[in-house]
Amino acid sequence: MVLVLALGDLHIPHRAPDLPAKFKSMLVPGKIQHIICTGNLCIKEVHDYLKSLCPDLHVTRGEYDEDTRYPETKTLTIGQFKLGLCHGHQIIPWGDLDSLAMLQRQLDVDILVTGHTHQFKAYKHEGGVVINPGSATGAYSSITYDVNPSFVLMDIDSLRVVVYVYELIDGEVKVDKIDFKKTATANASQ
Amino acid sequence: MVGKKGVPDWLNSPLWSSHPSDARYATKTPSPDPPPRPPPPPSDPSPPPPPPPPLPEATREEPSLSRVPPEEDSLQSQLLTEFKLTLSKKVINLGELRRLTCQGIPDGAGIRPTVWKLLLGYLPHDRTLWAHELDKKRSQYNAFKDELLLNPSEITRRLEESAGSKTEEFNCKGSGLLQRSEITDGEHPLSLGKTSIWNQYFQDTEIIEQIDRDVKRTHPDMLFFSGDSSFAKSNQEALRRILTVFAKLNPGIRYVQGMNEVLAPLFYVLRNDPDENNAVYAEADTFFCFVELLSGFRDNFCKQLDNSVVGIRSTIAKLSQLLKRHDEELWRHLEVTTKVNPQFYAFRWITLLLTQEFSFTDCLLIWDTLLGDPEGLQETLLRICCAMLILVRRRLLAGDFTANLKLLQNYPTTNISHLLHVANKLRGPMAS
Repeated sequence: MVLVLALGDLHIPHRAPDLPAKFKSMLVPGKIQHIICTGNLCIKEVHDYLKSLCPDLHVTRGEYDEDTRYPETKTLTIGQFKLGLCHGHQIIPWGDLDSLAMLQRQLDVDILVTGHTHQFKAYKHEGGVVINPGSATGAYSSITYDVNPSFVLMDIDSLRVVVYVYELIDGEVKVDKIDFKKTATANASQ
Repeated sequence: MVGKKGVPDWLNSPLWSSHPSDARYATKTPSPDPPPRPPPPPSDPSPPPPPPPPLPEATREEPSLSRVPPEEDSLQSQLLTEFKLTLSKKVINLGELRRLTCQGIPDGAGIRPTVWKLLLGYLPHDRTLWAHELDKKRSQYNAFKDELLLNPSEITRRLEESAGSKTEEFNCKGSGLLQRSEITDGEHPLSLGKTSIWNQYFQDTEIIEQIDRDVKRTHPDMLFFSGDSSFAKSNQEALRRILTVFAKLNPGIRYVQGMNEVLAPLFYVLRNDPDENNAVYAEADTFFCFVELLSGFRDNFCKQLDNSVVGIRSTIAKLSQLLKRHDEELWRHLEVTTKVNPQFYAFRWITLLLTQEFSFTDCLLIWDTLLGDPEGLQETLLRICCAMLILVRRRLLAGDFTANLKLLQNYPTTNISHLLHVANKLRGPMAS
């Protein structure tokens, strides 16, 4: 049972002052084992805050991030799953699922986490699964102002992943989930 | 100079000096089980009490046998025979068993696990009910484990599988948006709800970590408990599970540091049962025996009850009173003159049932008496603690605060049968 928090596109302080209070009250240290962040934090304070929730923090660079040292893409293995991370502004057309699938095949990962569109999406194709956690602060995107704050928490348990989607709609936190598993035979390289 | 005022004469007898000659519990090779034979004629130079008369099969009248017998082996084997006889009956006479146990269960005979289980009430008196009882209890423990030791991830998965919901297959053909589904009962990992299994899980992590730390520290010098062998590891796992299940079933006291020390001898004895059929279920059996053992004095572990009539402070006060009654001079010297507050030493003696004060094997002998004495655990424990103080009275009376505290917190190695006999003498409402 490994809990992985996926979030991004906070755009603090330029487009949003902080995470919504109801999100902040739920995000307490000690529960989450890994944090993967798609990018556009944008400042160091946000980085420090995330680090306080969980010491294992992975960030990729968004186009507005003030720290230029974040990588463009990142891959990591958690349990039986390979995860890939990329902000997504580099993939044109933005949010295009076929192009993202190409990136996923390049990175050779089971789950690709990407952002930039500020819209939650979970999509499956032959190469794997693409998850966009949306914007955790509800900041406006390059495309639209109508953004609900959202983030994703993945519960990885051997070959099964339960993706809990947290969205703030009309001031209330709504939680949904998505359940998927992968077959053991897919993992040829042990 | 030790004054003789107020001290009963028998206490000043040279018999109770610190280096007794009797070797009842000295290391010896375990005696094989010989058929009962009449005791050989006394050959040793005169020990004070006369040798005991040949034992009839029935109970003897004089319960408090002298603990300084010359023919030690024969006494041990006779004791063993009596034990086996008592245990072989269809309905076990607990009174008889207690009487025998207070003389110390002979080592190497493998009867200790069964005796302890009987004394703790885990096994019923009627032997024919044993199989049924054991089965019932053991499956109950498995049910506990199943229910309480799962993490929330596994729990939700099981609930969903039984509800028959489908999980998306990752690698099957086709692409498209993944369907979002509703969460059941509002359960999600970040839930802060009081009844949320996730929230409870995270709140329990602190306890689990504490149990884990303590289990790893239990008896680091013993191969049974510590080290890299898979045997030690599986024993540690068993201890961990027992304590976790106990903590979850008892939200009132949960886990308190020290419970691992009380659990350790129990598990050791039951796990080393020569009967493999029992040893395999040692974990389940130990759990129930532990519950039984703790039920008598769990109030000592409850912080809120510390100052109450049933709490640890009151128990320590009882010890104080006991000492005052039997040896006022020592009591006065300890508590008034040198101001050695009994909480400084007796707290650990009492809450941990003397497991920290003596070697492991000595501890098992003391526990024989603690479990076997008909007066009950707490009363017996207090008497033994009082005896411990009395046995070192000369050193205590000569010492100041520092010396006395040092002595009592590192109690010197003692002859256990000696100690238990003195404790035995402290029985009764008023010692003259």
